[in-house]
Amino acid sequence: MLFYTIKRLGLAALIIVVAMTLLLVMVHMVPGDPARTMLGPRATPEMQEALRIRMGLDKPLITQIGLFFLNLLRGDLGMDVFENRPVATIVFEQLPYTLELIAAAIIWPVVLGTILGVYSASHRNSLIDRLTGVLSIAVVAAPAFVVSLFALLIFAVQLQWLPAIGAGDPDSFADRLRYLALPGFSIGLSWVGYIARMVRASMLEVLGEPHIRTARAFGLSEWRIHYGYALKLGILPIITMLGVGMGFLLSAAVFTEMVFARPGIGKLVIDSITSRNYPVVMGAVLVSTMLFVLSTAIADLANAALDPRVRKAL
Amino acid sequence: MKQQSELLKSAKLILRDPLGLLGLVIVIALVGSAIFAPSLAPFNPTAIDMKARLSGPTASHWLGTDQLGRDTFSRMILGGRVALQVALPSIAAALGLGLLLGMVAGYGPRWLDNAIMLLFDTLRSFPTVMLALSFVALVGPSLGTVMLVVIVTSAPIYGRIARTQTMTLKSSEFITAEEAMGARMPRILLIHILPNILGTLVVLASMDIPAVIALEAGLSFLGMGVKPPTPSWGSLLKDGYALIRSTPWLIIAGALPIVMTTLGFTFLGEALRDVADPKLRRTR
Repeated sequence: MLFYTIKRLGLAALIIVVAMTLLLVMVHMVPGDPARTMLGPRATPEMQEALRIRMGLDKPLITQIGLFFLNLLRGDLGMDVFENRPVATIVFEQLPYTLELIAAAIIWPVVLGTILGVYSASHRNSLIDRLTGVLSIAVVAAPAFVVSLFALLIFAVQLQWLPAIGAGDPDSFADRLRYLALPGFSIGLSWVGYIARMVRASMLEVLGEPHIRTARAFGLSEWRIHYGYALKLGILPIITMLGVGMGFLLSAAVFTEMVFARPGIGKLVIDSITSRNYPVVMGAVLVSTMLFVLSTAIADLANAALDPRVRKAL
Repeated sequence: MKQQSELLKSAKLILRDPLGLLGLVIVIALVGSAIFAPSLAPFNPTAIDMKARLSGPTASHWLGTDQLGRDTFSRMILGGRVALQVALPSIAAALGLGLLLGMVAGYGPRWLDNAIMLLFDTLRSFPTVMLALSFVALVGPSLGTVMLVVIVTSAPIYGRIARTQTMTLKSSEFITAEEAMGARMPRILLIHILPNILGTLVVLASMDIPAVIALEAGLSFLGMGVKPPTPSWGSLLKDGYALIRSTPWLIIAGALPIVMTTLGFTFLGEALRDVADPKLRRTR
Protein backbone atom coordinates (compact mmCIF):
# COMPACT_ATOMS: atom_id res chain seq x y z
CA MET A 1 0.00 0.00 0.00
CA LEU A 2 2.86 2.36 0.84
CA PHE A 3 4.48 1.66 -2.51
CA TYR A 4 1.21 2.29 -4.30
CA THR A 5 0.66 5.54 -2.38
CA ILE A 6 4.11 6.87 -3.31
CA LYS A 7 3.67 5.85 -6.94
CA ARG A 8 0.22 7.41 -7.22
CA LEU A 9 1.23 10.69 -5.56
CA GLY A 10 4.35 10.79 -7.75
CA LEU A 11 2.17 10.49 -10.83
CA ALA A 12 -0.05 13.30 -9.55
CA ALA A 13 2.99 15.55 -9.01
CA LEU A 14 4.34 14.71 -12.47
CA ILE A 15 0.99 15.55 -14.07
CA ILE A 16 0.88 18.91 -12.32
CA VAL A 17 4.45 19.72 -13.45
CA VAL A 18 3.72 18.76 -17.07
CA ALA A 19 0.38 20.60 -17.05
CA MET A 20 1.89 23.83 -15.75
CA THR A 21 4.85 23.62 -18.11
CA LEU A 22 2.43 23.22 -21.03
CA LEU A 23 0.52 26.28 -19.86
CA LEU A 24 3.68 28.38 -19.47
CA VAL A 25 4.94 27.33 -22.91
CA MET A 26 1.57 28.33 -24.33
CA VAL A 27 1.71 31.76 -22.72
CA HIS A 28 5.12 32.13 -24.34
CA MET A 29 4.01 30.97 -27.79
CA VAL A 30 0.93 33.13 -28.08
CA PRO A 31 1.46 36.07 -30.44
CA GLY A 32 1.54 39.44 -28.72
CA ASP A 33 2.69 39.61 -25.12
CA PRO A 34 0.70 39.68 -21.90
CA ALA A 35 2.24 42.96 -20.78
CA ARG A 36 0.84 44.78 -23.81
CA THR A 37 -2.60 43.16 -23.47
CA MET A 38 -2.75 43.97 -19.78
CA LEU A 39 -1.87 47.63 -20.16
CA GLY A 40 -4.08 48.25 -23.16
CA PRO A 41 -3.39 50.15 -26.39
CA ARG A 42 -2.47 53.47 -24.81
CA ALA A 43 0.56 52.24 -22.88
CA THR A 44 3.99 53.44 -23.98
CA PRO A 45 6.69 50.90 -24.91
CA GLU A 46 8.57 51.90 -21.74
CA MET A 47 5.58 51.07 -19.54
CA GLN A 48 5.20 47.72 -21.28
CA GLU A 49 8.89 46.96 -20.81
CA ALA A 50 8.71 47.84 -17.11
CA LEU A 51 5.73 45.53 -16.57
CA ARG A 52 7.42 42.76 -18.55
CA ILE A 53 10.43 42.95 -16.22
CA ARG A 54 8.20 43.02 -13.14
CA MET A 55 6.37 39.90 -14.32
CA GLY A 56 9.65 38.20 -15.25
CA LEU A 57 8.62 37.92 -18.91
CA ASP A 58 11.97 39.34 -20.11
CA LYS A 59 13.82 36.20 -18.97
CA PRO A 60 14.26 33.17 -21.25
CA LEU A 61 11.46 30.59 -21.18
CA ILE A 62 13.51 27.94 -19.35
CA THR A 63 14.36 30.40 -16.56
CA GLN A 64 10.71 31.45 -16.33
CA ILE A 65 9.59 27.85 -15.95
CA GLY A 66 12.31 27.09 -13.39
CA LEU A 67 11.49 30.20 -11.35
CA PHE A 68 7.79 29.36 -11.52
CA PHE A 69 8.28 25.95 -9.92
CA LEU A 70 10.79 27.24 -7.34
CA ASN A 71 8.26 29.86 -6.27
CA LEU A 72 5.46 27.31 -6.33
CA LEU A 73 7.35 25.13 -3.83
CA ARG A 74 7.45 28.14 -1.49
CA GLY A 75 3.71 28.67 -2.00
CA ASP A 76 4.34 31.80 -4.06
CA LEU A 77 2.10 32.16 -7.10
CA GLY A 78 3.48 35.56 -8.11
CA MET A 79 2.19 39.06 -7.57
CA ASP A 80 -1.01 40.62 -8.78
CA VAL A 81 0.51 43.61 -10.56
CA PHE A 82 -2.69 45.66 -10.40
CA GLU A 83 -3.48 45.34 -6.70
CA ASN A 84 0.09 44.65 -5.60
CA ARG A 85 -0.98 41.67 -3.49
CA PRO A 86 0.27 38.09 -3.70
CA VAL A 87 -1.83 36.00 -6.10
CA ALA A 88 -1.86 33.15 -3.58
CA THR A 89 -3.61 35.36 -1.01
CA ILE A 90 -6.24 36.43 -3.53
CA VAL A 91 -6.92 32.87 -4.72
CA PHE A 92 -7.07 31.37 -1.24
CA GLU A 93 -9.46 34.11 -0.14
CA GLN A 94 -11.90 32.94 -2.81
CA LEU A 95 -11.29 29.19 -2.63
CA PRO A 96 -13.39 28.48 0.51
CA TYR A 97 -16.50 29.88 -1.20
CA THR A 98 -16.06 27.48 -4.12
CA LEU A 99 -15.31 24.51 -1.85
CA GLU A 100 -18.38 25.31 0.24
CA LEU A 101 -20.47 25.41 -2.95
CA ILE A 102 -19.04 22.12 -4.22
CA ALA A 103 -19.75 20.46 -0.86
CA ALA A 104 -23.31 21.79 -0.89
CA ALA A 105 -23.70 20.57 -4.47
CA ILE A 106 -22.51 17.00 -3.95
CA ILE A 107 -23.51 15.95 -0.42
CA TRP A 108 -27.27 15.90 -1.00
CA PRO A 109 -27.11 14.05 -4.35
CA VAL A 110 -24.84 11.39 -2.81
CA VAL A 111 -27.27 10.81 0.06
CA LEU A 112 -30.43 10.95 -2.04
CA GLY A 113 -28.87 9.08 -4.99
CA THR A 114 -27.65 6.26 -2.74
CA ILE A 115 -31.05 5.85 -1.13
CA LEU A 116 -32.79 5.84 -4.53
CA GLY A 117 -30.17 3.48 -5.96
CA VAL A 118 -30.45 0.94 -3.16
CA TYR A 119 -34.23 1.11 -3.31
CA SER A 120 -34.22 0.65 -7.10
CA ALA A 121 -31.90 -2.33 -6.81
CA SER A 122 -34.11 -4.08 -4.26
CA HIS A 123 -37.37 -3.08 -5.97
CA ARG A 124 -36.51 -3.57 -9.62
CA ASN A 125 -39.05 -2.27 -12.13
CA SER A 126 -41.00 -0.54 -9.37
CA LEU A 127 -42.38 2.93 -10.00
CA ILE A 128 -39.46 4.61 -8.21
CA ASP A 129 -36.95 2.50 -10.13
CA ARG A 130 -38.44 3.58 -13.46
CA LEU A 131 -38.76 7.20 -12.37
CA THR A 132 -35.08 7.42 -11.38
CA GLY A 133 -34.20 5.81 -14.72
CA VAL A 134 -36.06 8.48 -16.65
CA LEU A 135 -34.87 11.21 -14.28
CA SER A 136 -31.24 10.22 -14.73
CA ILE A 137 -31.45 10.85 -18.48
CA ALA A 138 -33.82 13.80 -18.47
CA VAL A 139 -32.04 15.90 -15.86
CA VAL A 140 -28.55 15.27 -17.18
CA ALA A 141 -29.81 16.87 -20.39
CA ALA A 142 -29.76 20.30 -18.78
CA PRO A 143 -26.26 21.66 -18.07
CA ALA A 144 -25.71 23.13 -14.59
CA PHE A 145 -25.76 26.72 -15.82
CA VAL A 146 -29.12 26.23 -17.52
CA VAL A 147 -30.55 24.70 -14.33
CA SER A 148 -29.04 27.63 -12.40
CA LEU A 149 -30.77 30.14 -14.66
CA PHE A 150 -34.13 28.44 -14.23
CA ALA A 151 -33.63 28.09 -10.49
CA LEU A 152 -32.84 31.79 -10.31
CA LEU A 153 -35.81 32.66 -12.52
CA ILE A 154 -38.33 30.53 -10.65
CA PHE A 155 -37.27 30.52 -6.99
CA ALA A 156 -35.52 33.86 -6.65
CA VAL A 157 -37.14 36.20 -9.19
CA GLN A 158 -40.70 34.88 -9.53
CA LEU A 159 -41.45 33.24 -6.17
CA GLN A 160 -38.82 35.19 -4.20
CA TRP A 161 -38.33 32.30 -1.78
CA LEU A 162 -34.56 32.44 -1.75
CA PRO A 163 -31.94 35.15 -2.24
CA ALA A 164 -30.76 35.72 -5.81
CA ILE A 165 -27.21 36.99 -5.46
CA GLY A 166 -24.25 36.85 -3.12
CA ALA A 167 -23.00 34.42 -0.47
CA GLY A 168 -24.71 35.78 2.64
CA ASP A 169 -23.38 37.00 5.97
CA PRO A 170 -20.08 35.14 6.51
CA ASP A 171 -20.62 34.99 10.29
CA SER A 172 -24.04 33.36 10.20
CA PHE A 173 -24.08 29.69 9.24
CA ALA A 174 -27.83 29.69 8.65
CA ASP A 175 -27.60 32.67 6.35
CA ARG A 176 -24.75 31.13 4.34
CA LEU A 177 -26.77 27.95 3.99
CA ARG A 178 -29.73 29.94 2.70
CA TYR A 179 -27.54 31.50 0.01
CA LEU A 180 -26.07 28.09 -0.85
CA ALA A 181 -29.47 26.45 -1.35
CA LEU A 182 -30.15 27.47 -4.96
CA PRO A 183 -26.60 27.14 -6.35
CA GLY A 184 -26.09 23.82 -4.55
CA PHE A 185 -29.42 22.54 -5.83
CA SER A 186 -28.62 23.62 -9.41
CA ILE A 187 -25.26 21.87 -9.62
CA GLY A 188 -26.35 18.80 -7.68
CA LEU A 189 -29.58 18.07 -9.54
CA SER A 190 -27.99 16.24 -12.46
CA TRP A 191 -25.94 14.08 -10.06
CA VAL A 192 -28.92 12.52 -8.25
CA GLY A 193 -30.08 10.30 -11.10
CA TYR A 194 -26.53 9.55 -12.15
CA ILE A 195 -25.48 8.38 -8.69
CA ALA A 196 -28.73 6.44 -8.27
CA ARG A 197 -28.13 4.53 -11.52
CA MET A 198 -24.55 3.80 -10.55
CA VAL A 199 -25.40 2.57 -7.06
CA ARG A 200 -28.23 0.47 -8.53
CA ALA A 201 -25.94 -1.22 -11.06
CA SER A 202 -23.20 -1.91 -8.55
CA MET A 203 -25.68 -3.14 -5.91
CA LEU A 204 -27.18 -5.58 -8.41
CA GLU A 205 -23.71 -6.88 -9.15
CA VAL A 206 -22.86 -7.29 -5.47
CA LEU A 207 -26.21 -8.93 -4.69
CA GLY A 208 -25.36 -11.69 -7.14
CA GLU A 209 -22.15 -12.62 -5.33
CA PRO A 210 -21.68 -15.79 -3.25
CA HIS A 211 -21.30 -14.13 0.15
CA ILE A 212 -24.75 -12.56 -0.22
CA ARG A 213 -26.17 -15.94 -1.12
CA THR A 214 -24.54 -17.34 2.01
CA ALA A 215 -26.03 -14.52 4.10
CA ARG A 216 -29.46 -15.37 2.67
CA ALA A 217 -28.93 -19.03 3.45
CA PHE A 218 -28.23 -18.06 7.05
CA GLY A 219 -31.63 -16.43 7.12
CA LEU A 220 -30.57 -12.81 7.57
CA SER A 221 -33.26 -10.26 6.83
CA GLU A 222 -33.30 -8.69 3.36
CA TRP A 223 -32.95 -5.29 4.98
CA ARG A 224 -29.80 -6.40 6.79
CA ILE A 225 -28.39 -7.95 3.59
CA HIS A 226 -29.01 -4.83 1.52
CA TYR A 227 -27.91 -2.19 3.96
CA GLY A 228 -25.49 -4.15 6.15
CA TYR A 229 -23.56 -6.15 3.55
CA ALA A 230 -24.26 -5.20 -0.06
CA LEU A 231 -24.18 -1.43 0.39
CA LYS A 232 -20.64 -1.52 1.79
CA LEU A 233 -19.34 -2.85 -1.52
CA GLY A 234 -21.97 -1.26 -3.70
CA ILE A 235 -20.97 2.22 -2.63
CA LEU A 236 -17.33 1.88 -3.78
CA PRO A 237 -17.84 3.24 -7.32
CA ILE A 238 -19.07 6.53 -5.83
CA ILE A 239 -15.57 7.20 -4.47
CA THR A 240 -13.98 6.99 -7.91
CA MET A 241 -16.81 9.02 -9.36
CA LEU A 242 -16.30 11.78 -6.80
CA GLY A 243 -12.61 12.00 -7.68
CA VAL A 244 -13.24 12.35 -11.39
CA GLY A 245 -16.36 14.39 -10.75
CA MET A 246 -14.32 17.14 -9.08
CA GLY A 247 -13.42 18.46 -12.54
CA PHE A 248 -17.08 18.67 -13.54
CA LEU A 249 -18.02 20.21 -10.21
CA LEU A 250 -15.33 22.88 -10.55
CA SER A 251 -16.48 23.64 -14.10
CA ALA A 252 -20.12 23.83 -13.05
CA ALA A 253 -19.16 26.07 -10.12
CA VAL A 254 -17.71 28.66 -12.52
CA PHE A 255 -21.08 29.13 -14.24
CA THR A 256 -23.16 28.91 -11.10
CA GLU A 257 -21.01 31.49 -9.33
CA MET A 258 -21.55 33.85 -12.25
CA VAL A 259 -25.32 33.28 -12.34
CA PHE A 260 -25.75 33.84 -8.60
CA ALA A 261 -23.01 36.48 -8.41
CA ARG A 262 -21.32 34.44 -5.68
CA PRO A 263 -17.68 35.01 -4.79
CA GLY A 264 -15.38 32.09 -5.61
CA ILE A 265 -12.64 30.83 -7.90
CA GLY A 266 -14.86 30.85 -11.00
CA LYS A 267 -15.96 34.43 -10.55
CA LEU A 268 -12.37 35.39 -9.78
CA VAL A 269 -11.16 33.90 -13.10
CA ILE A 270 -13.90 35.55 -15.15
CA ASP A 271 -13.39 38.94 -13.49
CA SER A 272 -9.62 38.61 -13.98
CA ILE A 273 -10.03 37.79 -17.67
CA THR A 274 -12.26 40.83 -18.10
CA SER A 275 -9.71 43.08 -16.39
CA ARG A 276 -6.86 41.26 -18.21
CA ASN A 277 -5.23 40.32 -14.95
CA TYR A 278 -3.05 37.44 -16.22
CA PRO A 279 -1.21 36.41 -13.04
CA VAL A 280 -4.49 35.93 -11.17
CA VAL A 281 -5.99 33.87 -14.03
CA MET A 282 -2.90 31.64 -14.04
CA GLY A 283 -2.92 31.29 -10.26
CA ALA A 284 -6.59 30.37 -10.10
CA VAL A 285 -6.28 27.85 -12.96
CA LEU A 286 -3.24 26.34 -11.24
CA VAL A 287 -4.98 25.96 -7.89
CA SER A 288 -8.14 24.46 -9.40
CA THR A 289 -6.10 22.04 -11.52
CA MET A 290 -4.13 20.95 -8.45
CA LEU A 291 -7.37 20.45 -6.60
CA PHE A 292 -8.68 18.23 -9.40
CA VAL A 293 -5.47 16.19 -9.74
CA LEU A 294 -5.29 15.74 -5.98
CA SER A 295 -8.91 14.65 -5.65
CA THR A 296 -8.51 11.98 -8.36
CA ALA A 297 -5.36 10.77 -6.59
CA ILE A 298 -7.14 10.63 -3.22
CA ALA A 299 -10.06 8.76 -4.79
CA ASP A 300 -7.64 6.21 -6.28
CA LEU A 301 -5.88 5.81 -2.93
CA ALA A 302 -9.15 5.38 -1.07
CA ASN A 303 -10.21 2.77 -3.60
CA ALA A 304 -6.91 0.94 -3.25
CA ALA A 305 -7.21 1.00 0.54
CA LEU A 306 -10.68 -0.51 0.34
CA ASP A 307 -10.08 -2.88 -2.57
CA PRO A 308 -6.73 -4.72 -2.74
CA ARG A 309 -7.24 -5.65 -6.41
CA VAL A 310 -6.80 -2.02 -7.48
CA ARG A 311 -3.32 -1.72 -5.92
CA LYS A 312 -1.76 -4.08 -8.42
CA ALA A 313 -3.24 -2.28 -11.43
CA LEU A 314 -1.01 0.82 -11.55
CA MET B 1 -24.77 -7.42 -50.26
CA LYS B 2 -24.49 -8.94 -46.83
CA GLN B 3 -23.21 -5.68 -45.38
CA GLN B 4 -26.21 -3.82 -46.77
CA SER B 5 -28.69 -6.17 -45.16
CA GLU B 6 -26.79 -5.76 -41.90
CA LEU B 7 -27.17 -2.00 -42.21
CA LEU B 8 -30.85 -2.39 -42.96
CA LYS B 9 -31.24 -4.55 -39.89
CA SER B 10 -29.55 -1.90 -37.75
CA ALA B 11 -31.81 0.81 -39.17
CA LYS B 12 -34.86 -1.31 -38.37
CA LEU B 13 -33.63 -1.88 -34.82
CA ILE B 14 -33.26 1.86 -34.26
CA LEU B 15 -36.69 2.57 -35.72
CA ARG B 16 -38.26 -0.07 -33.47
CA ASP B 17 -36.83 1.54 -30.31
CA PRO B 18 -39.25 4.41 -29.55
CA LEU B 19 -36.66 6.52 -27.74
CA GLY B 20 -34.12 5.89 -30.49
CA LEU B 21 -36.67 7.00 -33.06
CA LEU B 22 -37.46 10.11 -31.04
CA GLY B 23 -33.74 10.86 -30.84
CA LEU B 24 -33.38 10.43 -34.59
CA VAL B 25 -36.30 12.79 -35.22
CA ILE B 26 -34.84 15.45 -32.92
CA VAL B 27 -31.38 15.19 -34.48
CA ILE B 28 -32.79 15.39 -38.02
CA ALA B 29 -34.89 18.40 -37.01
CA LEU B 30 -31.84 20.10 -35.51
CA VAL B 31 -29.60 19.47 -38.50
CA GLY B 32 -32.37 20.41 -40.92
CA SER B 33 -33.18 23.65 -39.13
CA ALA B 34 -29.48 24.51 -39.03
CA ILE B 35 -29.03 23.91 -42.76
CA PHE B 36 -32.16 25.80 -43.80
CA ALA B 37 -31.95 28.36 -40.98
CA PRO B 38 -31.92 31.49 -43.17
CA SER B 39 -35.13 30.48 -44.95
CA LEU B 40 -36.82 29.10 -41.84
CA ALA B 41 -36.24 32.15 -39.66
CA PRO B 42 -39.18 34.55 -40.06
CA PHE B 43 -37.02 37.61 -39.33
CA ASN B 44 -33.45 38.73 -39.86
CA PRO B 45 -31.89 37.63 -36.53
CA THR B 46 -29.78 40.77 -36.23
CA ALA B 47 -32.40 43.27 -37.42
CA ILE B 48 -33.08 45.84 -34.69
CA ASP B 49 -36.65 47.05 -34.18
CA MET B 50 -36.79 49.38 -31.18
CA LYS B 51 -40.55 49.82 -31.42
CA ALA B 52 -41.12 46.09 -30.79
CA ARG B 53 -38.52 45.65 -28.04
CA LEU B 54 -39.06 43.26 -25.12
CA SER B 55 -42.41 41.96 -26.31
CA GLY B 56 -43.79 38.62 -25.15
CA PRO B 57 -44.86 35.98 -27.65
CA THR B 58 -47.13 37.42 -30.36
CA ALA B 59 -48.49 36.20 -33.68
CA SER B 60 -45.47 37.55 -35.55
CA HIS B 61 -42.79 37.13 -32.86
CA TRP B 62 -43.44 33.57 -31.65
CA LEU B 63 -41.00 33.74 -28.75
CA GLY B 64 -41.06 37.50 -28.25
CA THR B 65 -38.20 39.93 -28.79
CA ASP B 66 -35.10 41.01 -26.90
CA GLN B 67 -33.91 44.38 -25.61
CA LEU B 68 -33.14 45.53 -29.16
CA GLY B 69 -36.39 44.23 -30.64
CA ARG B 70 -34.67 41.33 -32.40
CA ASP B 71 -36.88 38.30 -33.02
CA THR B 72 -36.03 35.61 -30.43
CA PHE B 73 -37.37 32.69 -32.49
CA SER B 74 -35.17 33.62 -35.46
CA ARG B 75 -32.16 33.98 -33.20
CA MET B 76 -32.88 30.55 -31.72
CA ILE B 77 -33.02 28.95 -35.18
CA LEU B 78 -29.78 30.62 -36.28
CA GLY B 79 -28.19 29.69 -32.95
CA GLY B 80 -28.46 26.03 -33.91
CA ARG B 81 -26.23 26.75 -36.86
CA VAL B 82 -23.49 28.18 -34.63
CA ALA B 83 -23.85 25.23 -32.25
CA LEU B 84 -23.32 22.66 -35.00
CA GLN B 85 -20.60 24.72 -36.68
CA VAL B 86 -18.61 24.44 -33.48
CA ALA B 87 -19.55 20.92 -32.43
CA LEU B 88 -19.18 18.90 -35.63
CA PRO B 89 -15.72 19.97 -36.84
CA SER B 90 -14.21 20.02 -33.37
CA ILE B 91 -15.53 16.58 -32.43
CA ALA B 92 -14.34 15.22 -35.79
CA ALA B 93 -10.88 16.71 -35.28
CA ALA B 94 -10.71 15.41 -31.69
CA LEU B 95 -11.74 11.96 -32.90
CA GLY B 96 -9.10 11.98 -35.65
CA LEU B 97 -6.35 13.12 -33.31
CA GLY B 98 -7.40 10.75 -30.53
CA LEU B 99 -7.52 7.80 -32.95
CA LEU B 100 -4.10 8.58 -34.37
CA LEU B 101 -2.37 9.02 -31.00
CA GLY B 102 -4.30 6.19 -29.34
CA MET B 103 -3.52 3.66 -32.07
CA VAL B 104 0.15 4.65 -32.11
CA ALA B 105 0.28 4.38 -28.31
CA GLY B 106 -1.39 0.98 -28.37
CA TYR B 107 0.70 -0.46 -31.17
CA GLY B 108 4.02 1.39 -30.93
CA PRO B 109 6.93 0.94 -28.52
CA ARG B 110 6.45 1.09 -24.76
CA TRP B 111 8.23 4.44 -24.23
CA LEU B 112 6.01 6.13 -26.82
CA ASP B 113 2.94 4.63 -25.14
CA ASN B 114 4.08 6.01 -21.78
CA ALA B 115 4.75 9.46 -23.24
CA ILE B 116 1.39 9.65 -24.99
CA MET B 117 -0.45 8.41 -21.91
CA LEU B 118 1.24 11.06 -19.77
CA LEU B 119 0.16 13.70 -22.29
CA PHE B 120 -3.43 12.36 -22.17
CA ASP B 121 -3.47 12.31 -18.36
CA THR B 122 -2.11 15.84 -18.26
CA LEU B 123 -4.66 17.24 -20.69
CA ARG B 124 -7.44 15.54 -18.72
CA SER B 125 -6.15 17.05 -15.48
CA PHE B 126 -7.48 20.53 -16.25
CA PRO B 127 -11.10 21.16 -15.34
CA THR B 128 -12.56 21.75 -18.85
CA VAL B 129 -14.01 25.17 -18.21
CA MET B 130 -10.84 26.36 -16.44
CA LEU B 131 -8.74 25.30 -19.44
CA ALA B 132 -11.22 26.99 -21.77
CA LEU B 133 -11.00 30.19 -19.75
CA SER B 134 -7.20 30.18 -19.75
CA PHE B 135 -7.26 29.79 -23.55
CA VAL B 136 -9.70 32.69 -23.75
CA ALA B 137 -7.40 34.75 -21.54
CA LEU B 138 -4.48 34.00 -23.84
CA VAL B 139 -5.91 34.22 -27.35
CA GLY B 140 -9.19 36.05 -26.77
CA PRO B 141 -12.78 34.83 -27.08
CA SER B 142 -13.84 33.30 -30.40
CA LEU B 143 -15.47 30.17 -31.77
CA GLY B 144 -11.99 28.99 -32.77
CA THR B 145 -10.93 29.09 -29.12
CA VAL B 146 -13.94 26.98 -28.13
CA MET B 147 -13.09 24.46 -30.84
CA LEU B 148 -9.47 24.29 -29.72
CA VAL B 149 -10.57 23.54 -26.15
CA VAL B 150 -12.89 20.77 -27.34
CA ILE B 151 -10.11 19.15 -29.38
CA VAL B 152 -7.59 19.35 -26.54
CA THR B 153 -9.96 17.97 -23.89
CA SER B 154 -11.80 15.34 -25.96
CA ALA B 155 -8.94 13.81 -27.96
CA PRO B 156 -7.48 12.12 -24.83
CA ILE B 157 -10.82 10.42 -24.09
CA TYR B 158 -11.03 8.89 -27.57
CA GLY B 159 -7.30 8.23 -27.55
CA ARG B 160 -7.51 6.14 -24.39
CA ILE B 161 -10.28 3.99 -25.81
CA ALA B 162 -8.52 3.62 -29.17
CA ARG B 163 -5.36 2.57 -27.33
CA THR B 164 -7.08 -0.13 -25.27
CA GLN B 165 -8.86 -1.52 -28.32
CA THR B 166 -5.68 -1.47 -30.40
CA MET B 167 -3.86 -3.39 -27.66
CA THR B 168 -6.57 -6.04 -27.66
CA LEU B 169 -6.42 -6.40 -31.44
CA LYS B 170 -2.62 -6.29 -31.55
CA SER B 171 -2.23 -9.88 -30.41
CA SER B 172 -4.95 -11.31 -32.65
CA GLU B 173 -3.96 -13.78 -35.35
CA PHE B 174 -4.76 -11.71 -38.41
CA ILE B 175 -2.43 -8.95 -37.24
CA THR B 176 0.35 -11.47 -36.52
CA ALA B 177 -0.17 -12.83 -40.03
CA GLU B 178 0.14 -9.35 -41.51
CA GLU B 179 3.31 -8.72 -39.50
CA ALA B 180 4.76 -12.02 -40.73
CA MET B 181 4.15 -10.87 -44.29
CA GLY B 182 6.14 -7.74 -43.53
CA ALA B 183 3.38 -5.13 -43.18
CA ARG B 184 4.54 -1.93 -41.52
CA MET B 185 2.85 0.06 -38.78
CA PRO B 186 0.95 2.58 -40.96
CA ARG B 187 -0.58 -0.22 -43.03
CA ILE B 188 -1.53 -2.30 -40.01
CA LEU B 189 -3.04 0.65 -38.18
CA LEU B 190 -4.95 2.20 -41.08
CA ILE B 191 -6.10 -0.85 -42.99
CA HIS B 192 -6.49 -3.47 -40.28
CA ILE B 193 -7.03 -1.83 -36.93
CA LEU B 194 -8.86 1.40 -37.79
CA PRO B 195 -11.91 -0.23 -39.45
CA ASN B 196 -12.32 -2.47 -36.42
CA ILE B 197 -12.44 0.30 -33.83
CA LEU B 198 -13.94 3.19 -35.79
CA GLY B 199 -17.61 2.24 -35.26
CA THR B 200 -17.51 2.24 -31.45
CA LEU B 201 -15.62 5.51 -31.33
CA VAL B 202 -17.93 7.29 -33.76
CA VAL B 203 -20.92 6.33 -31.60
CA LEU B 204 -19.10 7.56 -28.48
CA ALA B 205 -18.11 10.80 -30.18
CA SER B 206 -21.63 11.47 -31.41
CA MET B 207 -22.84 11.20 -27.82
CA ASP B 208 -20.38 13.96 -26.88
CA ILE B 209 -21.87 16.47 -29.32
CA PRO B 210 -24.37 17.83 -26.76
CA ALA B 211 -21.56 18.36 -24.22
CA VAL B 212 -19.70 20.44 -26.79
CA ILE B 213 -22.84 22.40 -27.61
CA ALA B 214 -23.34 23.04 -23.89
CA LEU B 215 -19.73 24.21 -23.57
CA GLU B 216 -20.11 26.64 -26.47
CA ALA B 217 -23.38 27.90 -24.99
CA GLY B 218 -21.79 28.19 -21.57
CA LEU B 219 -18.82 30.19 -22.80
CA SER B 220 -21.06 32.41 -24.95
CA PHE B 221 -23.23 32.88 -21.86
CA LEU B 222 -20.16 34.15 -20.02
CA GLY B 223 -19.37 36.44 -22.97
CA MET B 224 -16.30 34.32 -23.76
CA GLY B 225 -17.65 32.57 -26.86
CA VAL B 226 -19.31 34.08 -29.93
CA LYS B 227 -19.07 37.79 -30.44
CA PRO B 228 -22.28 39.83 -30.66
CA PRO B 229 -24.45 40.19 -32.70
CA THR B 230 -23.96 36.55 -33.80
CA PRO B 231 -26.93 34.61 -32.40
CA SER B 232 -26.05 31.61 -30.24
CA TRP B 233 -28.08 29.73 -27.64
CA GLY B 234 -25.55 30.90 -25.09
CA SER B 235 -25.89 34.56 -26.03
CA LEU B 236 -29.69 34.23 -25.82
CA LEU B 237 -29.19 32.99 -22.25
CA LYS B 238 -26.76 35.84 -21.58
CA ASP B 239 -29.32 38.44 -22.72
CA GLY B 240 -32.01 36.54 -20.83
CA TYR B 241 -29.94 36.64 -17.64
CA ALA B 242 -29.50 40.40 -17.94
CA LEU B 243 -33.24 40.82 -18.50
CA ILE B 244 -34.36 38.12 -16.04
CA ARG B 245 -36.63 40.54 -14.20
CA SER B 246 -38.41 41.71 -17.38
CA THR B 247 -38.89 38.60 -19.52
CA PRO B 248 -38.40 34.83 -19.11
CA TRP B 249 -38.67 34.16 -22.85
CA LEU B 250 -35.02 34.63 -23.76
CA ILE B 251 -33.93 32.06 -21.16
CA ILE B 252 -36.58 29.62 -22.38
CA ALA B 253 -35.51 30.12 -26.01
CA GLY B 254 -31.88 29.53 -25.11
CA ALA B 255 -32.41 26.56 -22.80
CA LEU B 256 -35.03 24.61 -24.74
CA PRO B 257 -32.86 23.75 -27.77
CA ILE B 258 -29.89 22.81 -25.55
CA VAL B 259 -32.02 20.37 -23.55
CA MET B 260 -33.74 18.98 -26.67
CA THR B 261 -30.42 18.49 -28.46
CA THR B 262 -28.93 16.67 -25.49
CA LEU B 263 -31.95 14.39 -25.21
CA GLY B 264 -31.95 13.74 -28.97
CA PHE B 265 -28.29 12.79 -29.19
CA THR B 266 -28.44 10.74 -25.97
CA PHE B 267 -31.45 8.70 -27.11
CA LEU B 268 -30.02 8.17 -30.59
CA GLY B 269 -26.58 7.33 -29.23
CA GLU B 270 -27.96 4.78 -26.79
CA ALA B 271 -30.01 3.15 -29.54
CA LEU B 272 -26.93 3.05 -31.78
CA ARG B 273 -24.86 1.55 -28.99
CA ASP B 274 -27.41 -1.16 -28.41
CA VAL B 275 -27.35 -1.95 -32.10
CA ALA B 276 -23.56 -1.93 -32.24
CA ASP B 277 -23.27 -4.14 -29.16
CA PRO B 278 -25.66 -7.10 -29.35
CA LYS B 279 -24.74 -8.14 -25.80
CA LEU B 280 -26.38 -5.00 -24.45
CA ARG B 281 -29.33 -5.54 -26.76
CA ARG B 282 -30.21 -8.77 -25.04
CA THR B 283 -29.91 -7.59 -21.47
CA ARG B 284 -32.14 -4.59 -22.00
